[in-house]
Amino acid sequence: MERQEIIDGLIEVLKTVRMIEPEKLVGVTEETDILADLNIPSSEMINIIAKTEKKFNIEFEDDDIDDLDPTVRGIIDLIQRVKERG
Amino acid sequence: MAGYYDKGKLVESLCSIHPKEILIAYGPKKLLVDKYHWHSPTKGIVASYTPTDFDVEDHFGIFRGVDQIESFVQATAASLSMFLICQKHNCAPEDLRDKSVPSFISVGNVNFMAALEKGDTFVILGKITYYKFKQMVCDGRIYRCPQGLDLDDYFKDFNEERLLKYDLSPDFKLISDLYDITGREIDIEYFRAINKK
Repeated sequence: MERQEIIDGLIEVLKTVRMIEPEKLVGVTEETDILADLNIPSSEMINIIAKTEKKFNIEFEDDDIDDLDPTVRGIIDLIQRVKERG
Repeated sequence: MAGYYDKGKLVESLCSIHPKEILIAYGPKKLLVDKYHWHSPTKGIVASYTPTDFDVEDHFGIFRGVDQIESFVQATAASLSMFLICQKHNCAPEDLRDKSVPSFISVGNVNFMAALEKGDTFVILGKITYYKFKQMVCDGRIYRCPQGLDLDDYFKDFNEERLLKYDLSPDFKLISDLYDITGREIDIEYFRAINKK
């Protein structure tokens, strides 16, 4: 799966999060920090991760989330690692 | 198998242990749970606490609302998620002391209807509304108990249906209503890193 394809999927997920103002999703890059740049509380991150699992039909382990890098790059890397893991 | 082993003893329910055995990160002055009375690992819990002199010091004899919330999160998200983590990894809470930290993540709406004074035993009825990736969200209520009631006996036949309905005798006085109380067990290195930023 290409990284841009994952970004597009992530943006679809982020559009479903009511706390995120839609205009903040314009120009999302791999450097975007989901917590800091999109201004959401850390409690919401788990909901985003749960939605990401469904979107990409994958399953994260608790340990994957323990030290999650909250940037788009970090999430893309995680999705790719989990897909490779199978 | 439901539960986990701690020093060779199977802990199938939090009711069989003292809160300090699972809330190991909390020192004695900060532990605001005295006893668990009913526990369903995936549904919720009933626990109690009686405020002490120390708890109401410099606060006109009243147990603070913020401490009610702290007591609630200790009894619910902190205790319940630690139980599930120990069960999943078949380890004891002590094994996780240097690995994770119970963290208070967020509070939703809280409504206070009445106050609690020193010596007022109260029960926490906590319902799990969400649990994933070691993050737990609970709703619930705090009630002041009738004086002299044997809480272990009163809750011995309690069940999930009664929890969902907050089905208690009218002698229990509703003190507060709490929503979306959220806690998460966070990896200790990650916790240190985010607090250094």
